[in-house]
This record gives sequence, C-alpha cells and structure tokens, in this order.
Amino acid sequence: MSDQHETWSRRGFLGASAAGAAFAADMTGLNVLQNPALAGELKQQGKRVILLWLAGGASQLETFDPKPGRPTGGPYRSIKTSVPGVEISELMPKMASRLSKYTSIIRSLDTKNADHGGGARLMHLGRRDEPTVKYPDLGAVLARELGRVDSQVPDYVSFYTATEGRGSAISQSGFLGARYNAMFLTEGNVPPNLRKLDEISDLDHQQRGELRDLLSKRFAAGRQSASLASHNESYARVRGLMASETLFDISKEPQNIRDKYGPTLFGEQCLVARRLVEAGVPFVKISRAWWDSHGQNFETHLELVTELDNVMSALLDDLSERGLLENTLVVTLSEFGRTPSINSSLGRDHFASAWSSSLSGCGIKAGSVYGASDEDGRTVKDGKIGAAELFATIYRAVGIDHRKDYHVGARPIPLTDPGTKHVAEVLS
Amino acid sequence: MHVWQRPLLALFVGLISAGSLRADDLLPADTAIEAAIDHYITARQKSLGVEPAPLADDANLLRRTLLDLHGRPPTAAEVKAYQQNENTAKRRELVERLMAAPAFAREQAAAFNALLMNGTNSSLRSYLTEAFKENRSWDRIVRELLVGQENDAEQKGAITFVKARLKDHDKLTAEASSLLFGVNVSCAQCHDHPLVTDWKQDHYFGMKSFFSRSFENGDFIGEKAYGLVEFKTTAGESRKAKLMFLTGQVYDEPEIKDPDDKAKKEEKELLEKLKKDKQPPPAPEYSRRAKLVEIALSAEGNSFLSRAIVNHVWNRLLGRGLVMPVDQLHSENPASHPDLLAWLARDLQTHNYDLARLIRGIVLSDAYARSSRWESSTKRPADDLFAVGMVRPLTPWQYGTALKVAISNPDQFPADLAGDALDAKMQGLEGAGRSITEKLENPGPDFQVSIDEALSFSNADRISKDLLRIEGNTLLGKLKTIADDKEAATTAIWNVFGRAPAEEELQALEQYLKTRADRREPALQQVVWALLTSSECRFNY
Repeated sequence: MSDQHETWSRRGFLGASAAGAAFAADMTGLNVLQNPALAGELKQQGKRVILLWLAGGASQLETFDPKPGRPTGGPYRSIKTSVPGVEISELMPKMASRLSKYTSIIRSLDTKNADHGGGARLMHLGRRDEPTVKYPDLGAVLARELGRVDSQVPDYVSFYTATEGRGSAISQSGFLGARYNAMFLTEGNVPPNLRKLDEISDLDHQQRGELRDLLSKRFAAGRQSASLASHNESYARVRGLMASETLFDISKEPQNIRDKYGPTLFGEQCLVARRLVEAGVPFVKISRAWWDSHGQNFETHLELVTELDNVMSALLDDLSERGLLENTLVVTLSEFGRTPSINSSLGRDHFASAWSSSLSGCGIKAGSVYGASDEDGRTVKDGKIGAAELFATIYRAVGIDHRKDYHVGARPIPLTDPGTKHVAEVLS
Repeated sequence: MHVWQRPLLALFVGLISAGSLRADDLLPADTAIEAAIDHYITARQKSLGVEPAPLADDANLLRRTLLDLHGRPPTAAEVKAYQQNENTAKRRELVERLMAAPAFAREQAAAFNALLMNGTNSSLRSYLTEAFKENRSWDRIVRELLVGQENDAEQKGAITFVKARLKDHDKLTAEASSLLFGVNVSCAQCHDHPLVTDWKQDHYFGMKSFFSRSFENGDFIGEKAYGLVEFKTTAGESRKAKLMFLTGQVYDEPEIKDPDDKAKKEEKELLEKLKKDKQPPPAPEYSRRAKLVEIALSAEGNSFLSRAIVNHVWNRLLGRGLVMPVDQLHSENPASHPDLLAWLARDLQTHNYDLARLIRGIVLSDAYARSSRWESSTKRPADDLFAVGMVRPLTPWQYGTALKVAISNPDQFPADLAGDALDAKMQGLEGAGRSITEKLENPGPDFQVSIDEALSFSNADRISKDLLRIEGNTLLGKLKTIADDKEAATTAIWNVFGRAPAEEELQALEQYLKTRADRREPALQQVVWALLTSSECRFNY
C-alpha cells in the first residue's frame, strides 16, 4: 500500500482535516464504502480480538510465571507444558498442554502503576492519560481499524460484571468519537434496547425507520456536516444491530459446546464472544472479576485460575476448530500483577514491577515465551516492556502498524508513543 | 522584567502587531458590531470571488435565534406570528425581546457551564445564571472564577472552576489556560511553542506556578504562601520555576522561604482543625492566583483574555471559531479573519467586557443569518468563509426541551400566550425534558451521535412512553381528533419542525397513515416518532 493510500484511509475515516478538506467534501457521512479502494482494504481485514480482562489484578505467580519452592512461590507447584523447558502453574493443566499450539507468554511487564484506577486506565489506553488529548482505548482503536464503517454488527462489545462495577469498567472512544463507544452488557448477556417494543409490529418498526430516513435525507440535502451524517448513520445501523441480538443467545449452541465452556457466567460470555467474532465483531472484552486477592490469595486463585484454564482452553479449541483462530487474537491482561511477597492474610498485594500477559492465536508465535523475572519474581531480569510495547505487539499481531498517526485537528497522534518497539519475538 | 526578557517581549508584541493591523487600520470603534462583522466577512468572500448563501428564511432564522438565545425551538404559533409580522425591524425587535427575558440568562448559563466545566463533575450553572441575569462583565466573572471568595454569596459558586480541578494541577493549568486565554499551554511540556521562539518547559511550569500553591482543604480552597514548582529539564537538570505568563514575561514576587518543620507541623494542624470546623483556610498575603487575574486584565494579558472569549462565543454561535482549534490562539495559527478578531476583541475591552453586547451584535449580523443549505451549482465554500450556515448538534438540554415542545398540544400555545406566562411554561418543559436526554453527550468538536442514542430512541420503553403518549395535553392527543390525514400531517410537521410542510413530505406522511387506517393511533405515533427522531429536530440549522 502506498503512503497516499494510507493517508486516504485515515483521513477518510476521520473526515475533514486541513489537508484532506477537498477529499472530505466527498466523504460526507463516513460513506467510505463508496470508495472501492477503501472497501477492499476493509474486506481484507477480517481480524478480531478477544480481551479476557482479569479485573482486580491476576497473580502471575499462580498463572504464567510460577516460582515453586521459592519463599515467594506459595503452595502451588508448576507443571511442564507442551513447550520444552517452559512450566506454568499447576492450576492450568489444560493451557499447559496447549501452549505450543496456541499461546505466547510475556513475563516481563513493568508498568509502574499499581492502583486499580490508574493501572486499569494505563492497560486500556496503552499509555498515560494526557490532560489535552482523550485517547481512544484498545477496543475503540480496534473497532475503528478492524471494523466496517457501516457495520450491521456491533464493533466493540464489552461485558463487565457487577463485582467490578460500571465505574471501573474503563471504556473510552476518546477522539475517535462516539461512533466507537462500547456496547456494554452487564445484567444478562444481551445488550439493552436491541429488541423492538411489543406494541409495534416488525413491519411498522422498519417502515417507520424508513419514513424517518426519508425526512432526514431531505433535510440533509445541501447541508454538510460530519455530526449530521453520524446521526443518520446511527439510525441506519439500528435494524442490523437488532438482528445481531441472536448472536448473544447461547441457547442456539449445541449442548456439548456449552458444556465445554462450562455453566459459569464467564464461560457463557466467552461463548457469546466466539459467536460475536464469528459474525464479524472485531473486538470483544470479557471481564472476570475479582482477582484482587489481598487476602486468601491461594483459595481465590484456585477458583479463578481453574475457571480461566477451562474457559480459555475451551475458547481457543473452539476458535481453532472453526478455523477462526488464525484471524482472532485472544489476550489475557489485568491492571497489574500481584506481589511475590505473601502478606499476613495469606494474600498478595498489587504489583506492577514484574508481571505477565498472554497472547494467543492470530499473528502469534505459539509456544514462545518473552522476558523473564528473577528467581523470586521481584524484578524483571530480561526483556522489560511496558504498556506501550504490549499494545504495539497486539496491533502488529492483527496487521496494524503501531506507528501510524491519527490526526486530531492538525496534531498527529501516533497509535503508540513515538519510539515504541513491538515485541517481534512473540509474533509469527 | 529581566534584561533578557525584553527582546522576547518585543518579539511577541511585534508578532501580534504583524498578525493584526495597527489599531488605526481597523474599522472605527463606533461601528456597530454587526456592521463590522459583515464588513470583514463580506470583504474576504469578495476577495475570493465567493457569493454567500442567501439569508435563512423567517422560520429558520427564528428557530436558530431562539435556540441560541433561549435554548428552545419556537412553537408553531410563534413561527406563524413572526412570518406574518411585516415590520422591517422585526429581527432586531425579536433579539432585544429575547435578551430581556429570563430564559436568556438560563441558556447562556447552560452554554458557559458546558464550556467551562466540561470534563469535571461540578457545575457552575447557578453561579452563572445569577451572573448573566445582571449581565456581569466577563472580566469580573474571570476574577471570580479564579479567586472568588467562598464567604461571599455572589462569588462562592464561581471558585468551583478551580476547586473542581485541584486534584490535578496539570489539568487545572491546561484547562484554565485553554478556556480563559485560548492557549493550550501543555503542548510546551514536550516541544517549543511557535509564538515565542524559545518557549520551553520554563513557560509551562511558569503558568503552572500560578496554580501550584492552591490546594483543597475539606470543602474549601486554600493557597499556601510559599512553595516553588520544581521540574527536571529535558537535559536532566533540576530547576525551580518562576512565575511566567503566556507572553514569556516573568514576574517577580516576594521571596518567601519555606517554613521550617515546626511551622509546617503547626500549619498542618491548623488546616486539619479548619477542615473539621468547616472553615476556609486563611488567605496568603501574596496570592499567585490573584496575580494571574491582575496580569490577565492588564495590557500584558488582556489581548489573550478578550480574543479567547470572543472566539469561544463566535464558535458557539457560528459553529466554527475565527481561530481553530479554539485553544490554539497564537500568531502562528492565524484567524480566518484576523482584523475581525482584533476589532471584536478591542470592542469587548472598550465596552467593559460586556458579553450580552457581543452576543447581540453577532446574532444581528448577516453572517450569523446565512442559510445552511448550499443550493448553488458552484462549489460549496470552505466553512471558514462563513458563507453558509453551519449545522450544529443541540446540547442534551436543548434537545430535551425541543422534544417536549414538539410533543405538546399546540392548543397549549395560543398566539396570545407570551411574556412571563410563556416563559414559565417553557421552563417547565425544560425541566421535564432533561430526563429524556440526560445520558447524551455535550457536543464538542467532531461530535458524533452514538448507536446507543439511536437504539434507545428506537426501542427503549421509557422514551417511547415519554414521547408518544396520547393525552389531552400532547400533540398526539390533538392529532387523534383530526380525521383528515393531510390536515393531521400538516399539524404534525408544523408542531415538530416549526415550518410549513413540503408537498413531498405531506404525501409521504399521508401515504403512511392511509395504509394504516385500521390502526390509526399507532400509525400517528409512528409518524410523530419519525419526525422527532429525524435530523431536523436534532440539530440547530
């Protein structure tokens, strides 16, 4: 792709900007698909990301970076995996046998922010907040990069739990605009307002929308405005989004598949996630709370890690069997990890100096392990990276150049902070 | 001023002068504001061979003016009365009448609150409503925003501007500077500012220094008498910031040593006690924030102050500032009409920062009144020529009110309902409308409507119940009594859009109703729904 083409891509989506004004004049209403070059680029994308957000801070010592026998190791042992020389927590036997097939582990995150709010924001935006720029979060960026402008399915779906609380559920479309807001689900597994009210027939619902459309088109004639266009686009997507309600209905899945994911809320939501990415939703975030084990770390992780092991392996197997995994990236992440030191309540506290994340599927070199912590897990010994590098790696895995610029007014804003290098070692 | 500052100051003054002509090259000061605006706007259009769109018609202009001054659209009766008024001065009469009504202060308070408090969890609305009721001057408002006394009934709401941002001094610095002076100074954290050639971190931390001594103490704001902002330069050197304004000018201040540990402990104890007693901390002898106000209003700073507020007001009323983005007012980012900006800023300064006067002048200009439809076969002119009106999303508050007005039975608004009685009724609708649209976002630059809005208006039970009730006092209640489809359609369009229907629209609505004769009431609801959710209702055009 030439630079010129890439410029059109960005500018086309974001509408008017100084140099692109003439072009933007033709691009009213983000009606990008009228431009065959852009439409082609979009169709080729087809990449998806599922984020398993382990809310509260999952312990790397009880998952991907165990230290058995060390004072910081805790009671659980480590087990061999299908990758020679690599061991993970004994609480994850299913993932252990699948590591060489699907997953890469990063053990060297040092992100410095060990409070829930700040850490969560950092690990959703991939960078620190700035007072003057509202950065879009990972979901918004991926929705924009991987999704279709006129998408009839949602492009950013976020499940959060009552435990985590809506207030902690970070979601920010930032300067990309409300078009890329998350569709949130909490009570139950279906987004609100997707179903028409009983008092109106489906035909009337559709035709009333068409009448609305006719009136609005007359109004828009001779008028030019990106906000105006976005208003009509939102309504144009309503029927399609309503039709996607069925994607959230797991009763449509055969029982044996449902059994593999298990009957827990997290399991069911991951099954919904598979249905969503199968239908073309580019980004789904499932939040599992609450990993913040300041006390009773080992009981908490026994429960949560066992579930994670079951659900994650079921999800990866399912995606793989359907041929979806080569285009779907599955990420596990938290706001931070947990302290190697065990406190007096047999808990571990917040710890951002040496923790882990995993990446599976699309673009990933399965079986790779990047970075290392020291023998007690107190510091990163090797391959230290921060949020920026992790995000750069995620973008690269799904074919996005992490150095590309968005433009806010005349100010270029790169996807990741300048100079950020992705971790090439974990990419295939 | 230090010796080395003088060349910088001269450079600054030179740049400002070069960017805008000397005072005697501007139109005379006694020109009417609207005449000055139209002079400069037309001159640039002519120089580029651009013929502007015609002025908006009566119904359109009435709607636009009423939304901007009162935050609501007109009723059908008001539109008809205005259209039938043959007085050539009716537009001026309208503006004067609207600005004298209580709804003017309410709407300006809402608009300025959105501008000044966006992104915070606090509101200045009650303070601003009082301030606008008495047309308090902008310079006085700025003083109260920055150093308003909490024990003064008139001022105490104002200091919320600072209080709401005290947890983050960087945010306070960046936002105060952007909103009040039109300059987003936080860019200077990372790179040189183009205005002053060696604007570096000194300047950012210099501005921050005006705020750095301010702190929260329980419910009150305090300001220490000591303390310097320390920072590390990009070369790794530790430096203490001096008070520096946006011009690069450094300000001397009384040198106050940090108190010793014992004094600090006593101070802490005193503050704790005051917090418990819910009393404000004592004011420092020398207040850096007060110094900032002094500078802002002096010859040094007032060009920033006046140009920034002119630009904000212009941006809100015209849909685009004379300088864009609105927080990049400096000579390397010239205004689309530099002389006009200079003239309006000078006019504001010489008329005691009278905002109502500025608003009146803008709203009476031809530039404000352009149709937003481009119907010529020639290419649509760029927005910064102000040759075509801009389409602007309604604020959540305005949209809620507009919906409530739209669904009211027109019989509730007879032609003779006017003055206080009309205002009281409208205030009721404003209040009622808020719950429908409170989840919507306040429009900023590049505003987009989210899918949530479309889905909730399409499928949410609450909204449907709110907007589509068939009762005596609603539009639908009225439509139910009109047997003739064409008449019903006409009434509906008049009520929701505030204008006469077009033939094509009447046909579409009639057709819709005719094919649903067996379920006429639901059909009427659906027609009204289509009108309420159409773009014409959602935007100020």
